[in-house]
Amino acid sequence: MAPKNIVATFRDEANLLKAVTRLKENKVNMLDVYGPFANHDLLKKLTSESKLPYAAVLYGIIAIVSIFGFMYYTSVIDYPIMYGGKPIFSFPPMVVIMFLFCILLTTILTVLTFHGRAMIFPGKPANIIDPSVTDDTFFLVLDQNYNPEEIKEWLKEDGAEEITEKEL
Amino acid sequence: METTYTPKKNMNLLFAGMILIGIVAVITGFISDTQRTWANILLNNYYFITIAMGGLLFYSIQYITNSGWSAVIQRVPQALGGFLPVSAVLMLLLYFGLPQVYEWAQPGITETDKLIAHKEPFLNVPFFMIRMVLYFALFLAAGYMLRKYALLQDKQNDLKFHEKSRYYAQVYIFIGAIFFSFASKDWIMTIDSHWYSTLFGFRNMVLSMYYGVAAIILIILYLRSQGYFKEVNDAHFHDLGRYLFRFSIVYGYLWFMQFLIIWYANIPELTVYYQPRFLGEWQFIFYAELIINFAIPFMVMMSDELGKKPKVLTTISVLLLIGLWMNIYLQIMPGSYGPVKFGFVEVGMWLGYAGLFLGITFFALSKAFLIPKNHPYLEESLHHHI
Repeated sequence: MAPKNIVATFRDEANLLKAVTRLKENKVNMLDVYGPFANHDLLKKLTSESKLPYAAVLYGIIAIVSIFGFMYYTSVIDYPIMYGGKPIFSFPPMVVIMFLFCILLTTILTVLTFHGRAMIFPGKPANIIDPSVTDDTFFLVLDQNYNPEEIKEWLKEDGAEEITEKEL
Repeated sequence: METTYTPKKNMNLLFAGMILIGIVAVITGFISDTQRTWANILLNNYYFITIAMGGLLFYSIQYITNSGWSAVIQRVPQALGGFLPVSAVLMLLLYFGLPQVYEWAQPGITETDKLIAHKEPFLNVPFFMIRMVLYFALFLAAGYMLRKYALLQDKQNDLKFHEKSRYYAQVYIFIGAIFFSFASKDWIMTIDSHWYSTLFGFRNMVLSMYYGVAAIILIILYLRSQGYFKEVNDAHFHDLGRYLFRFSIVYGYLWFMQFLIIWYANIPELTVYYQPRFLGEWQFIFYAELIINFAIPFMVMMSDELGKKPKVLTTISVLLLIGLWMNIYLQIMPGSYGPVKFGFVEVGMWLGYAGLFLGITFFALSKAFLIPKNHPYLEESLHHHI
């Protein structure tokens, strides 16, 4: 069976950016890019379809509603105590707790979602595509679905150093 | 790079017309209701001082943090500061209306009001005016130095002028942060002379940058529509939008900090400020202001994509400038005037001041290169992208 993925290596980030732009225009599904440092342009090109922010907003709403329900239940329904002459249901002191709990739950759940989606968990052996990824080389990993020969041609044109096929 | 802005003739006519409306409004105001007019003079002075101050504080922060991205737009916040000398004159005119606005300045009040009598060594008319002169002297001196070295750098490509600008930016941020907080307390907080909040000055000082950025965005977008500032790209707007987003959070935070502590402690001395606003007839403006200044910018600017669209930025900035007016209206009017009134006097005087402010700002913009020629970070700013 033929290996599943095309792996192209780049030494120059500008070339990689060119290649990514062209592949994106042709709607080729890029699996991942591994690199020694972050590149904002690349990040923008690759993650523009991330749904994580929407998940975060959802978690935030869930957090606010649930903690409000909890506080309402404890301080109004289950065990109402009057202190300081304030009404039993008073909103202002709840705001701080709602705010902080919203941050806490959103942060934890978003991190968990990200790790779940990216299949990262403690104890997992590191999946390093090549030792030189920690040095000076970018790796672009592609599916071989579409038209491998044409894609390889493009990659070569855009300045890929080396194009291999690998099972990842 | 050496473009200069030349104001259109009909723009100047428009500003002159606005100032004329303002003068008519002042005259009708003095005929019908002097107290309301003096309160409005203070309101509009403070409104535009806030924006000018916000512009210069923003400008100083760019220098202190060695920010590269903002070099291309830095003439706009600087031009906003051009209003300060004029505002100093207009603010000193308030001397004639002090008893109309400030309860503590009314003659003979110290005999009937023990608390004001106790505060009298600080809150008396001569000392108040001395402090006002001092504040403006400091603002103007430091602001002038900032302007001077920025212009010198245009003429001569020398890094030492940049170092000087950096030095005076530090001076300005020190002076602005401390003395604009004090000035806010002096000019606005003492209207409710029985009430005090330690957060008040700091809050108004920090928020001046919020509204300053809104004004900067509007001016840049206007200049772009006139064919200038082609160098300003998406990333610059993105950064300015981030400023709005951050400050909307700061606004919510400081607003709530002041409110919650007073609400919780429930001391009559402190709740006297919130009673008419929170429960009385000012309730509508109280909530509307919170929605305009906090809720809408916070929800809209949260989105990264929306936050850099010029149309969205324009809408939010215009809303914020309305929000600033409501914010100051709510701080000044209940204590100094009384009933909720909104009419020709308010609108006309705001228009007059806005005409004056815009005229001076665009005049200051036209006096120098629109893009600082020899700024060391200019190259970085032109290629700014995120």
